[in-house]
Amino acid sequence: MIMFKRAVSAVSMALALQLLGGCAVAPWERGTLAKPQMALEPNPLQTELRGHAYGAREAATGSSSGSGGGCGCY
Amino acid sequence: MPANTASGYMKGAGAAEVNRPAATRISPALQALTAAALLLPGLTEPARAADDEASIQYGHYEESPRDVYSRVPTSEFGFDLKKIPNNFAPITVDSIHVQGKTLLRDRWRFTANYSEDTWSGATPVATAPAGFGGNKAYGGGGSVKHTDPSLGDTITGATPYIQSLTPVFDQNFNPVLDKGLDADFNQAYGFGSQPLTHTMTMASPETRKQGDFKLGYEWDEAAVDVGGGLSLENDYESRFVNWGGRLDFNSKQTTLNFSQSYTNSTVSALLDHDSLPYLGAIGYELNGKDDNGYIERFSDRLSGGNAILHGKREDIATNLSVTQVLSKSALAEAGVGYTHSSGFMENPYKATYAFFVAPDSFDATTGVYSNLTGSGIATTAFTEQRPNKRNQVNLNLRYVQHIAPLDAAMNLKYNYFFDDWGINAHTFEGKWVQPLPWGLTVTPTIRYYSQSAADFYHPYLVLKTAGSGDANNVAAYRALIQQYPNFSSDHRLSAYGALSGGVIVNKQFARGLNLEMGFEYYSHQGGLRLGGGGEGGYADFSAYSANAALKVDLDTLGRGLAESGGGHHHHHHHQHGPAQPAGLMFGHMLNMADDWMIGYQYMYGKQAGNLLQGAQPVADSAIISNNAVHNPNCANEQCFAAPSDMTMHMHMFMVMYAPTDWLNLMLMPTFMDMSMNMRQLDGTTTPSNTTLVGAATTHAGHEHQTGGIGDTNISALVKLYDDKLHHLHLGLGVSAPTGDVDIHLRPSHTYEIGLIHYGMQLGSGTWDFTPTLTYTGHLDDWGWGAQIQGVKRLQDHNESGYRLGDMLQATAWGSYRFLDWLGGTVRGIYTTQDSLHGAYDRPHVPIGTMDTPANHGGKYWDIGMGLNVTIPGGSLAGNSFGVEWIQPLRDDVNGIQLEREGALSAQWNYMF
Amino acid sequence: MSLFKLRFAMLLIVLGLTDAAAVDVGQAVPACAIASPANNEKADFRAARGQVVYVDFWASWCGPCAKSFPFMNRLHAGLADKGLQIVAVNVDENSADAERFLNSQPATFKVAWDGESECAKLFDVQAMPSTYLIDRKGVVRYVHLGFRESEAVQLEEQVKQLLDESP
Repeated sequence: MIMFKRAVSAVSMALALQLLGGCAVAPWERGTLAKPQMALEPNPLQTELRGHAYGAREAATGSSSGSGGGCGCY
Repeated sequence: MPANTASGYMKGAGAAEVNRPAATRISPALQALTAAALLLPGLTEPARAADDEASIQYGHYEESPRDVYSRVPTSEFGFDLKKIPNNFAPITVDSIHVQGKTLLRDRWRFTANYSEDTWSGATPVATAPAGFGGNKAYGGGGSVKHTDPSLGDTITGATPYIQSLTPVFDQNFNPVLDKGLDADFNQAYGFGSQPLTHTMTMASPETRKQGDFKLGYEWDEAAVDVGGGLSLENDYESRFVNWGGRLDFNSKQTTLNFSQSYTNSTVSALLDHDSLPYLGAIGYELNGKDDNGYIERFSDRLSGGNAILHGKREDIATNLSVTQVLSKSALAEAGVGYTHSSGFMENPYKATYAFFVAPDSFDATTGVYSNLTGSGIATTAFTEQRPNKRNQVNLNLRYVQHIAPLDAAMNLKYNYFFDDWGINAHTFEGKWVQPLPWGLTVTPTIRYYSQSAADFYHPYLVLKTAGSGDANNVAAYRALIQQYPNFSSDHRLSAYGALSGGVIVNKQFARGLNLEMGFEYYSHQGGLRLGGGGEGGYADFSAYSANAALKVDLDTLGRGLAESGGGHHHHHHHQHGPAQPAGLMFGHMLNMADDWMIGYQYMYGKQAGNLLQGAQPVADSAIISNNAVHNPNCANEQCFAAPSDMTMHMHMFMVMYAPTDWLNLMLMPTFMDMSMNMRQLDGTTTPSNTTLVGAATTHAGHEHQTGGIGDTNISALVKLYDDKLHHLHLGLGVSAPTGDVDIHLRPSHTYEIGLIHYGMQLGSGTWDFTPTLTYTGHLDDWGWGAQIQGVKRLQDHNESGYRLGDMLQATAWGSYRFLDWLGGTVRGIYTTQDSLHGAYDRPHVPIGTMDTPANHGGKYWDIGMGLNVTIPGGSLAGNSFGVEWIQPLRDDVNGIQLEREGALSAQWNYMF
Repeated sequence: MSLFKLRFAMLLIVLGLTDAAAVDVGQAVPACAIASPANNEKADFRAARGQVVYVDFWASWCGPCAKSFPFMNRLHAGLADKGLQIVAVNVDENSADAERFLNSQPATFKVAWDGESECAKLFDVQAMPSTYLIDRKGVVRYVHLGFRESEAVQLEEQVKQLLDESP
């Protein structure tokens, strides 16, 4: 349980630091980030299939990636 | 988002202002130039995730055979430890996954998934020192023998031979090999380390199906979604719901993600029939009726005594992550996940050997505990016992960096996992996404995984008290539980490392078609564990997986160069013509050169009800009347069983291209799964399990399933006549035998019962000629047509020794368009199919009417009623869906067969 | 626990700071110069006084931009003679990408280059794409972030409203 609390603290610290580090990239400068190869998950179908195979043979359950990055379009 | 294609032509709006008229038109010369430019290799970008997309993926996973060791006779009275030939087919899984995504009204995202996998092969059940002889070489029944001269005995693919081991331990309770009698007729022992070995069991094919959906709403800087689904297989049923959301900050430089899911599962595992007498499930018996696991015993006429292990399980998973843009070319993600699970956490098919070493079984002269002294060593195998709860935590870090000189992206991921079962795991993953010319993207991948063992993981257990050898002895079980409240020999919970590497290749075609192929080689080795201390080499295995997916971007399909108006005129639904019955194949032709069509057809067929002989129901007594002699109803053997129901699901994918306006080329791969239940024929008694036929009949008491790739059809459609009213085309095609025809049943009661029934094989096994002649006509809202379709087998027999009968089908239909987007069809169908020719030339045990080659085929009269929907406009224009129910009117079958209940067809087409 | 509270407070402060100053409704259009792709001449928006100007910031990598071009083409076809001037300012760092985009999605209206992102900075563009509607007096009247087809109706109405006003 203490490990869990430490983990949550670490992530919330990272979160706060990241927010402070914002404003580095303007909305019109997202060209490179918008490239398809820069997606957090460039091959979702593959990853899901492989994840299925790993999950059947490994004890650790993976977690899916969230969204973010990209072109930042509205 | 448009799929950008390479082009070098400059187009300035300034020029448009000065020289061009308001509606810009691309001249054919410019078009030709651009088309040429498209062929020039330049770095092209991989496909972006589309708003409206359909995709289909097929995957094949196969493991290497495991190394199996045992104590085998090497001389008249002597034994030694040897690796024995492993005739157990390794685990293979065939799967398909179909997905549809769409963006509705700009802010609603809907995704639906359907996936299906069929797996079969040998898995480890338990683990024991190899010298104890857990994998026995022994003779089987029938004519099936695999002989290894060096071993001097026959070995068959076997059910776990869990009883009658030869356990011997030294004074420190290390395993010792009993070498039998040496040349001087003295008992000899082999001390020192010996490998462990898995006791393997075969599994007949089993299919799992899953459907799920997700619906989301997007604001400008936030989104929420909710979803759910169902996963079904014979022994495991799972229902899940999930919800989540995301929030964007800092002009979308920071994104916060949250998701949660709840899964409720029910386990109903049919315990391995053959090891029931030896497998102690006593712990569950003592549980009473509890969701954490209880046993239900029942008797079936065909299969005798059975036991089902029931359990329920709940999982709640929560994930929180934050994605941060670090610079113009890099981003990172950090996340944490927590899962709480409770209920029946065991794998019902895993057992752990427990050796009860009585203190008085020690012989001081030889220095061993053995069965030769005192009370001896009792061997019992118990179904595993895991805690009823599990808390798991995942910590993720991901980093994506753009590598400018190569325009590639480096994608790195690290995951740290730990739970309260004592397992810690590290995962390192790396991907290099490299765009290349000609629309290709190549992504090499590498992954390293390492885990520690669970606190209660033990390959086998040793207790220093006397046992009883009786799997159902309560006292022995209680002694076990006192020392080991939880225990499992499942290698999934052992300590090991796994290294895998692969590559994904993506090819973007024009008009939004994307083909993705992936391959990965995976190696699981105890020795690869980070920091050492992993499980021994006996548990090592490797696997490869290969898959291919076709993704269709429904937004860009058909856009091409036509958006500007000149040249190639694009059309949508109004070229589709009148509605056609959804179950009809080869009925549609593309009219314009360079058109494409992709489609998916699903067919469900069911047989159930009476057994028919010819066109009349036949009673069981009539079927078995010749049982005393060779019964022709059952391949000249005796009849014990008959099918009670049979279900078939077929998925067909079609890609059609028109090189000219009178020729279409079509490729149609299929994926199917079938299941069959059987019942005992009235008036018969199932023979004893100690005979081959008895073993096969007993096995028939459980549902049989097969699934995987079916045959693939390659056709050319030639337009013979076409005017505003009438159309006639000829189809010439072949069916390639890509579907299996040698699917086996798992061995039953130590017998090899060989190939599964003819009707359960997935393909024809032969190259077949498939001609069709189709006539269609239409006037205003009315449509009509007729088709003759034939199948002629081009080979005398397939690899299993038989061939299916030739087939001829004639159908005529009428259709009416009620509304702009809705039509209906009605048709009559007549089919005649010849019976099987030849018979299995490999081991096969006939036990019922379906095993007779003559009991296949017949004449069938059906009526079909269907509805068709065409989407006239909007972002999904050009799509059409159809559904049809085929109702049998009359069956006149060859020999004795189960009558048909009907068939359902559903079809989706998209022309572009 | 107090350390946790401190971190949480930091979070809130930073969130509050993220809404930087942007070109708002009611302000005069910034005097930024944009280049015409044909002759690289620079022009600025003040010269368009008397007309309603529809300034749209776009890029080749922006998905919703592809959907907005057919709409802007329609606006241009229907309302150019009433005094509507559409200027689509491209912010691609590499003009070849923009040209590729224009090949598959041609524009009948004026397209301008803002390769150095001067104009984007002066307008303080908050999102991609961004649309600024400037009335005949040179005052920014409406700012739209993003483009969705269902919101195009509202945009068209706003444009017509501005066209109806006298200079």
